[in-house]
Amino acid sequence: MSKMMTVDILSSIKGAQPSETVNKLFDVIKNANISNNNSFNNHTKAVSLNDLRDDVVVHSSAIEKQIIVENFPKEKNGYLVVAKVIEE
Amino acid sequence: MSQIRKIHTQLKNKEITCTKLVQDRLDLLKQNTHNTVNSLLDESALALAKKVDAKIENGETIGLLEGIPFGIKDVYMLQGTYTTASSDLLKKYKSPYTATAIQKLLDAGAIPLAKENCDSFGHGSSSENTIFGAVKNAIHPEFVGGGSSGGSAVNVAKDFTVFSIGGDTGGSVRQPAGYNNVFGLKPTYGRISRFGLMAYASSTDCVGPIAKSIEDIRIVLNVMSGKDIKDLTTYESQEISEEKILKANDIKTVGYFKNFIENKAIDPQIKADFLTSIAKIKATGIEVKALDFFESETLVSTYYTLAMAETASNLSRLDGTNYGNRIEGKNLKDTYSITRSENFSEESKRRIVGGNQVLSQGFSDEIYLKGLNLRDQISESFEKDFKEVDIILSPVTPNTPPKIGDSLKDLLAMYLSDAYTVGFSLGQLPTLTIPKGTETGMQITAAKNNDELVLKFANFLKDTL
Repeated sequence: MSKMMTVDILSSIKGAQPSETVNKLFDVIKNANISNNNSFNNHTKAVSLNDLRDDVVVHSSAIEKQIIVENFPKEKNGYLVVAKVIEE
Repeated sequence: MSQIRKIHTQLKNKEITCTKLVQDRLDLLKQNTHNTVNSLLDESALALAKKVDAKIENGETIGLLEGIPFGIKDVYMLQGTYTTASSDLLKKYKSPYTATAIQKLLDAGAIPLAKENCDSFGHGSSSENTIFGAVKNAIHPEFVGGGSSGGSAVNVAKDFTVFSIGGDTGGSVRQPAGYNNVFGLKPTYGRISRFGLMAYASSTDCVGPIAKSIEDIRIVLNVMSGKDIKDLTTYESQEISEEKILKANDIKTVGYFKNFIENKAIDPQIKADFLTSIAKIKATGIEVKALDFFESETLVSTYYTLAMAETASNLSRLDGTNYGNRIEGKNLKDTYSITRSENFSEESKRRIVGGNQVLSQGFSDEIYLKGLNLRDQISESFEKDFKEVDIILSPVTPNTPPKIGDSLKDLLAMYLSDAYTVGFSLGQLPTLTIPKGTETGMQITAAKNNDELVLKFANFLKDTL
């Protein structure tokens, strides 16, 4: 499956087009000399297993939950409303 | 002179009450015409001030930061306050929780007064990309306040806040600090937790204090630093003591990038002033080396390629489903795209689209992966340099601040104006702007995790220049 996705679709922004100015910046990269060692992973940071958070559920405080609900864009009869997901 | 210590003494000696201190600053913030404030936290600030006064009245000891009024760039979570990122999308968004760095300041007793104006989601270098009106420069109000933490730098410069917490991804603390003649620090990446800072480009995002003295920067940096389980890129750091940064005898060699100074885009006066400063440093017996570095265009292009890729990914969560100003369309995808099209600014859209361009199939190899490779080369170049020199000095900006409205007319010039700050961001190095040396200040940079050396050299330069 090879379906070309344009930047407006990828960005979920109607009518979005690449910017000429930004393309000029990308051209500098395209034309730049790079080292041959392909060491793209020099800056990958690994976290020690000992430093990971405990795998437990941490409940939010009552005020946090209340604000999260307040922030929800649409509510109807006590339910939080979202668009239908299965349409196509 | 440390403003924090001065106010602390005044509070302790009952020369002023905390309530009056806070009320006076709130009045200044409210009346100010520089567009620095997105929302005022007057009720909570006065309630906290009363508690500090009660403590002092009862003869209890107060901590150094207790009762000190400060500002917060409007990209930090502070529970119950609006956190808009200066955007239409989050105009009515309330923080459900508090950022780690801000919580540490609250725990130390500091009092937040305002959420401060900035470029939307940090996307800008002038604080004009905001729904709250362009931030006006503290010294010349017809000029920009700088960005993206423009409101924070202007508030400190005008004494509306004692210190402010900005965010620096490619220069967003250092450049507005330079434009408004105050101190602004981008610490080593990972020294301060990013938890609760809205993500722009996660691999360079840093929490950064802005203040009027090196001592105030040191105090606030110490409070906010430390490992945080909620941000696994953080590391444990040593507290920086006041005594340790007083003398810079161990700094023997300083470097500067000669191509920054020979660049034709640099303002002749900034160039002349920078070279005069270098001569003064040489005169103290410190060896100065001119270093080779990457061209400005390469630095800016590498930074923007990676920052745009990261912001496209980070901001993909903003679709109006769970929060934000949702605009209903005919179906789910339509709702996403209308919400994002109508609510993001032109600059944010430009960066998101640019990011998706470089991440998409067919382009990632020749742009994004190449950008990563260049970043590695930049980091390696810094590692090599810091084997030869202790400190790297640089101007903060090639030019003085533009007039409000001018940077939006020439986008390429706006991006290129970040030429001297973005390299240090890509290297994740500690860099401080000091209001000395040139009209927009100077940057002091040291090797990774050596924030102490930066503050130490800043103290030396304060007395030398």
